Amino acid sequence: MAAALRLANLQRQQNGAPLSIAVLEKSRSSGAHMLSGAVFDPTVLEELIPDWRSKNSPLKIPVIKDHIYFLTEKHRLRFPVTPPPLRNHGNFVLSLNGLVKWLADLVEESGVDIFTGFSGTEILFDGDRVAGVRTGDRGVDREGKPKKTFEPGVDIRAAVTIFADGVRGNLTKQLIHRFSLDSGRSAQSYALGIRELWEVPEGRIAPGAVIHTLGYPLRMEEFGGGFAYGLSDGRLSIGFVSGLDYRDPLFDPHNAFQLFKQHPLIKDLLKNGQMIRYGAKALPEGGWHSIPRCHVDGALIVGDAAGFVNSLRLKGIHLAMRSGMCAADAAFEAIRLKDSSRDVLARYTASIENGDIHRELYPVRNVHQSFSGGLLAGLSYSALALLTRGWWIKDPMPTEPGYKRIESVRNYYRDREIKVTSADIDRRLTFDKLTSVHYSGTRHDEDQPNHLIVRDTDICRTVCLEEYKNPCTRFCPANVYEIIPVSGNSGGKELKINASNCVHCKTCDIMDPYQIIDWVPPEGGGGPQYEGM
Amino acid sequence: MKQIMILIITEHTGNVVNPVSWEVVAAAQNISGNNSITLGVMGSGLEQILSDFLQADVSEVLCVDNPDLLDYNSDSFVDAWAQVINNEMPDLVLLPHTYRTRDFAPKLASRLGSSLITDCIATKERDEGLTFVRPMFQGKFVADVIPEGKSPHFISFQIGAYRADEARKRIETASLRMFPLTIDKSKIRQHPEHPFKESQQAVDLSQADRIVAVGRGIKDQEHLPLVQQLAKELGAELAASRPICDAGWLPMDRQVGSSGQTVAPTLYFALGISGAIQHLVGMKGSRTIVAINKDADAPIFEIADYGIVGDLFEIVPAIISALEE
Repeated sequence: MAAALRLANLQRQQNGAPLSIAVLEKSRSSGAHMLSGAVFDPTVLEELIPDWRSKNSPLKIPVIKDHIYFLTEKHRLRFPVTPPPLRNHGNFVLSLNGLVKWLADLVEESGVDIFTGFSGTEILFDGDRVAGVRTGDRGVDREGKPKKTFEPGVDIRAAVTIFADGVRGNLTKQLIHRFSLDSGRSAQSYALGIRELWEVPEGRIAPGAVIHTLGYPLRMEEFGGGFAYGLSDGRLSIGFVSGLDYRDPLFDPHNAFQLFKQHPLIKDLLKNGQMIRYGAKALPEGGWHSIPRCHVDGALIVGDAAGFVNSLRLKGIHLAMRSGMCAADAAFEAIRLKDSSRDVLARYTASIENGDIHRELYPVRNVHQSFSGGLLAGLSYSALALLTRGWWIKDPMPTEPGYKRIESVRNYYRDREIKVTSADIDRRLTFDKLTSVHYSGTRHDEDQPNHLIVRDTDICRTVCLEEYKNPCTRFCPANVYEIIPVSGNSGGKELKINASNCVHCKTCDIMDPYQIIDWVPPEGGGGPQYEGM
Repeated sequence: MKQIMILIITEHTGNVVNPVSWEVVAAAQNISGNNSITLGVMGSGLEQILSDFLQADVSEVLCVDNPDLLDYNSDSFVDAWAQVINNEMPDLVLLPHTYRTRDFAPKLASRLGSSLITDCIATKERDEGLTFVRPMFQGKFVADVIPEGKSPHFISFQIGAYRADEARKRIETASLRMFPLTIDKSKIRQHPEHPFKESQQAVDLSQADRIVAVGRGIKDQEHLPLVQQLAKELGAELAASRPICDAGWLPMDRQVGSSGQTVAPTLYFALGISGAIQHLVGMKGSRTIVAINKDADAPIFEIADYGIVGDLFEIVPAIISALEE
């Protein structure tokens, strides 16, 4: 949205031939698939929309206090001082869904077309130049045959294509693969954020109160933490982030979130409240060294798709917008010169490397990786990094993709007893996955091809069952994957995919130990409805 | 209050009255004033239809019985109703908001130069006159609309806005008036094909008065006959939760839930169904819910009127024997 708005602004400022700008959005309405905590850094808005204050923006709740707690199962320890990078003075608590809807209105007012319900499924090439995007077919039945409502996908051709398909974006994935954009870079790391929107008695938490937690229910070896942000009108945003680089194959991020809610600190916040909405999405955590090359002939990559997230400050929205603006500047220039080759578009990468994004991300480039040594190592390094601006003996700090870090049951548990703490589900405070999915508002046309492509389901029921006990049934926060007994008495098991439960979080594509799952967009318009998230 | 003349355009298929017609009768009867209500029936071979409609508490039933009007056809119906309306000069023409109405009513209204207000959910008396209430923006707002221009004004009512059983009937049959007319067949542009039929007979569970639904607790397809027997004894339709249909043990048109059908029967038996919220939203409107499940914590028990915590393989046969006595 930021890129589109910036392009429209540039065009207006500099006149010349009118640009035709289009935004393709796979959800049914702008913002429907967007969710975050969120605590938003507004500095980028000053540049993109200087008069944002007079435009009824969603920046209504300034952060008034910032608390960090370390949790054990029953107790809490508050950090006496909030470290500078985590201080949120000047920032706003808001709904990302609300922010995107507001931006979308501004984008449309400026003459840009937003095509909702259109998923980008394929990149169009002219030789090695990106020529545009093909949208998905509509009206295809479960077996892949056209229904009466069949509409073939549309080819959208453009001089410059800006890929903003989010964390583990399906098109960015193709682009990175084709042009080896990640060669020489560190592997990308991810985390899974799961959150809920609650209504609690007014006065329970002040609007603008920001709470972050470390510790329980995660163990020292696991990355992540919880958050609770006070919104207005008695609403509360509460969630839990689990690093997708855990070693225990039996770890379940959704379960961790339920355990988190049972901690007295959080339980008291939610007492007599009601859960209104649920959602989940992965986040890129790898930082500076994991960002691939983001410019190719005819295209640029922005936002979470490239990995512009500050994992120390836990912020990525302002960086995504900043990258969008830089991409718009480069694209505008390329169109003016009638040359969108990569040499011209390299201007984008230069502006990232010499600008605010580098200034912010470079000093924290090894923070997430330091946590692979455990919580203490991570915290110590992060403190050190504040002083030394990210220095480390080995830079980049060695890292491994999460799907390689996950260990087999045999290796992780060895002779120890396999003990998993499952949260009690009471359907008032804690919920099972199916109920959670219901509250995400996710809807897909049932009669369409399955969009979670598992390339070899034999592996699921034999090797994976044995080695990892099918972690997909645990790391998916939406109960998409199930291992069920085969009909009859053969005693065998098979994989069942409930594709219509999918909330588009991308965890399966990221975390599957055999990397045989490919998430592709379902028919445009399908997916969650993250109103207020 | 001014006395107005109301003409109702009813709908039927073959020899079956579409119940929404009665809903419009209720709507008409609800408009205050000592109004004259005419029930309009159009088609061919209408004895059975008329015997039904003549029970209505209305001023009269006007019948156009013409072999050219046997099958619904947009041009011919518009032509015929226009003739009736030009002759009868009603103040209001009321219709049910069905697909058929959506097809011909706009044409009819514009041919007569009249306004058409669709999908109304109520009527109101305001100082400005008789007002019609209709939803806007997918139900986020409700608007009061006052028709302008010359009579008649066409109003269509949302299905379900009024209840068919609220239509007043009376013992003495209404007076019947036949309205002969001819259709100019040369002006008819549409030639309907055979009505489209699903290749498989789809079950409409929403019409069932009793339903026996089965879930994962049934364990295996081979145990279905037990459940089918219970359904037969109860005179109930068979339904299922999602996992059963996903596994192919029962066809998709028997699925109840958010991705299946929504039902509200008088009696709903939930056998071996845990009660995931996706299933509950499809059946919680049922008048009486009986749940049998081994798990005492199953969410289904939160909404069941009668719950039995136990093994359905023991309990269902016991129920069947009790019913057989």
